[in-house]
Amino acid sequence: MITKRRYSSSGTLGLTWKEAIALAQNNGEQVVPTFCAMCGPTPLSCGVYAFVKDGRFTNVAGMQESPNNKGAVCPKGHAAPQWVYSPDRLKYPMKRVGSKGEGKFARISWDEAIGIIADTLKSQKEKYGPESLAILAPAMRTYNAYIKRFLTVHGSPNYGHSGICALQRGFSFMYTIADWPVAEIDQSDLVIYWGRQPIFSGPAMDGPRLLLKVKERGAKIVAIKPSAEPDVGKADIWLPLRPGTDAALALAMLHVVVNEELIDKEFVEKWCYGYELLKEHIQKYPPAWAEKITGVAAEQIYEVARLYATTKRASIDLGNGVEHAPSANDSIRAVAILIAITGHLDRPGGNVFRSPETVMPMPMDITLRDRYTEEMRDKLVAPEFPKEFQPFVEGFSSAYYRIFDSILTGNPYQIRTVIAPGTQPVTSTRGSKRVIEALKKLDFYVIVDVTRTADMDYADIVIPVTTPYESEHPFEAIGGRIMARNKVIEPLGDYKSIYEFFLDLGVKMGYDQDFWHGNIIKAMDDQLQPFGMTFAELKKYSTGIIYESIPRTYENYQKVFTRKSPRLSGAPFLPHGKVEIYNTSFEEAGYNPLPEWREPPESLTGTPDLIEKYPLVLSDYHTSKNYTASWERNVPYLRELQPYPTIHIHPDTAMGRGINNNDWVIVESPHGWMKVKAEFYPGIRPDTVMILHGWWQGCQELGLKDFPLLDGGANVNMMYSVDPEKAFDPIITAMSSQTLVQVRKA
Amino acid sequence: MFEKYSILFIQENCIQCHGCEVACKNWRNVELGVNWRKVDTIWQGKYPDSKNVPIMMACRQCADPACAAACPVGAIEKNDAAGVVLVNRGKCIGCKVCFEACPYDVPQFGVDGTMQKCDWCFHETNGNPIKPPCVTTCPTQALILLSEKGE
Repeated sequence: MITKRRYSSSGTLGLTWKEAIALAQNNGEQVVPTFCAMCGPTPLSCGVYAFVKDGRFTNVAGMQESPNNKGAVCPKGHAAPQWVYSPDRLKYPMKRVGSKGEGKFARISWDEAIGIIADTLKSQKEKYGPESLAILAPAMRTYNAYIKRFLTVHGSPNYGHSGICALQRGFSFMYTIADWPVAEIDQSDLVIYWGRQPIFSGPAMDGPRLLLKVKERGAKIVAIKPSAEPDVGKADIWLPLRPGTDAALALAMLHVVVNEELIDKEFVEKWCYGYELLKEHIQKYPPAWAEKITGVAAEQIYEVARLYATTKRASIDLGNGVEHAPSANDSIRAVAILIAITGHLDRPGGNVFRSPETVMPMPMDITLRDRYTEEMRDKLVAPEFPKEFQPFVEGFSSAYYRIFDSILTGNPYQIRTVIAPGTQPVTSTRGSKRVIEALKKLDFYVIVDVTRTADMDYADIVIPVTTPYESEHPFEAIGGRIMARNKVIEPLGDYKSIYEFFLDLGVKMGYDQDFWHGNIIKAMDDQLQPFGMTFAELKKYSTGIIYESIPRTYENYQKVFTRKSPRLSGAPFLPHGKVEIYNTSFEEAGYNPLPEWREPPESLTGTPDLIEKYPLVLSDYHTSKNYTASWERNVPYLRELQPYPTIHIHPDTAMGRGINNNDWVIVESPHGWMKVKAEFYPGIRPDTVMILHGWWQGCQELGLKDFPLLDGGANVNMMYSVDPEKAFDPIITAMSSQTLVQVRKA
Repeated sequence: MFEKYSILFIQENCIQCHGCEVACKNWRNVELGVNWRKVDTIWQGKYPDSKNVPIMMACRQCADPACAAACPVGAIEKNDAAGVVLVNRGKCIGCKVCFEACPYDVPQFGVDGTMQKCDWCFHETNGNPIKPPCVTTCPTQALILLSEKGE
């Protein structure tokens, strides 16, 4: 039934704090200013007003005062109450009573659960060393600092970073140009969105608004990706490349600009190291060569390379799409070199260096990096980046998938405990079959989450935690705004927040001193020191504090090119103080000094012998409009938008196989098979099919059951090779998300 | 105060995020399986010149609504003052003749079998032309509330 309510707004998006209060009063409700949590909790969440009626969280409206969403809210944000009250929520801690994988658990108390984990970690530390513990990092989350702190105090370097997101771009850019520059889109006359999803990656934030403004200004847009998602509809030129071939495209673009001398000669002479060597090296990668690999016409490669090089204000927004191939490092640094030699680095409308945008201080770092030692570095079980380059900007990291591999191979040693906070290894990383084998063999597996997870049946201990809507902390300080999180409703079960989990576990381990004696407010106060206020004082600012912005400056080469790296030696990123076109650091560590092409483990050009049986390329989408990673399929309002896992297939490709739109189909690769629905997608390469990753979860309210995790299900991560020789980028881990498949009617 | 208003959909601004759709559902407690507002996709052009564009499915509040004319019990009414087409669900007998009559397939039927659809949050806002949740949530202002008299 419809409830009586009034929804008013002052002409722009969302509500102001004053309007939100008035609306709540009118409806006999309470309103709480806080952050959306449906993509996270990430450090850059959208500000929202949460409405509460009789103790129940009912609705969300956008916070107009919030600089990143400016009052807008995406579908996920609006569906938050259904997520909070889902029947899939975990309500109390549990321990396994059946065998691994059986899914039998018994209820225990929070204290008992913490006690069991602490006892296990203590005895394993004594028996196998502290490095036998790995904690998985789900993504950029506000609790990652607590994971790192716990690991460091315990003595383990094994922070399990994905190996497929953000740090890969960060690494290759930093070790090429000492910065991960931002596309200054609002000043560009040409924007190249490359492997990027500017709409679904934060639809309520600035990405889509910037995209539309580019169009409004009459600037040109180029989209580089295998399928015509909604953003491609806004582009002037689309390069529909085959998945995983970005490096070949970038090398061919370099070939064009180098041979046609469309470069900034002065910049190259003054600020680049090894240009002459590149010139010689790049000759083997002409556009005609790239056409065969990428499937993009050579003329189009010439056109876009020339257009980019000759447009003064041109930027490249390089997305996550390039981080999922064994040639990832080379594609990223080839793009970095392209930006640099064409004179687009740190110039207006180009790719500009990251610098503080506002006068806001940074919260105190609580990750205890000053305690890092060489001994810890040498104990990394599966270095995400080679040890010579550890720690990187986020600290020490082992690659998520390879942690599980070590459990099976014992190489270099066996991880004994894995803690998975807000992440699901069976669907979040590749090689799902091996991951399940590893979970069966693993000594101790702890899940920390808000809902049941894909691999919960293998857990020894299940720790439920609050959704951020049930938590009175932490705060977020990014993008020039600091604001405390406020509790919307009381916790629905016997649990605490994920931050408190790490504090309680720390205390139980005997690490009291380092974990604020279990006092979360003290932890907040500590981090707020640079702001000169306590957490209680910050709480008084309902919609946070916004700091003054700093005008951008350009051409900061001298300053940036001498930047120190985060390695223990503190050696600079760029040994010559110049763009490392020829990378001597990589060469010394035994890797290619110049970018090269490397085929995915299975591809049309790399493994032609497989084409007869598997004639199509398969890859997956990293981002969706209505789900976050492998989550939120249990939220009915979101599930209605996309009820079934669908494979995007060109109608000609489908009809040649007797497949109609919406038919169930079998997709088979050399590594596994899925049963999903066919979605006719006229804007996808006819030789390629793509699916969203992360499908496993059912939706009780809609009567939709869970899918099998392996063969016969819809989990695309089991479809790919995890061959250690072929499936990984040799330097930055990046795992291949390309294979060859056949598709047939189910 | 305004007398007449309408919600305008600007197709080229729509990014297909579906924020309006779920805002509508949650703010108005729209039941599962029923949509008062829905963003759909249509494809234009042949590969590689193909692109997908959004279309908005919601009641157009027609000037001379076919649904109202077809309704055998007079449960559908055009409120001329505000410009909105309103359904009296208490009167509706669930015969679905309106669905047959509507050229846009707008009428929706949930568990109770009566017709429901977008009403611009007319009663929610006491008939005042203030922005409904679908409009205020749209990140790119593809939905705009228009008033005949202007602000």
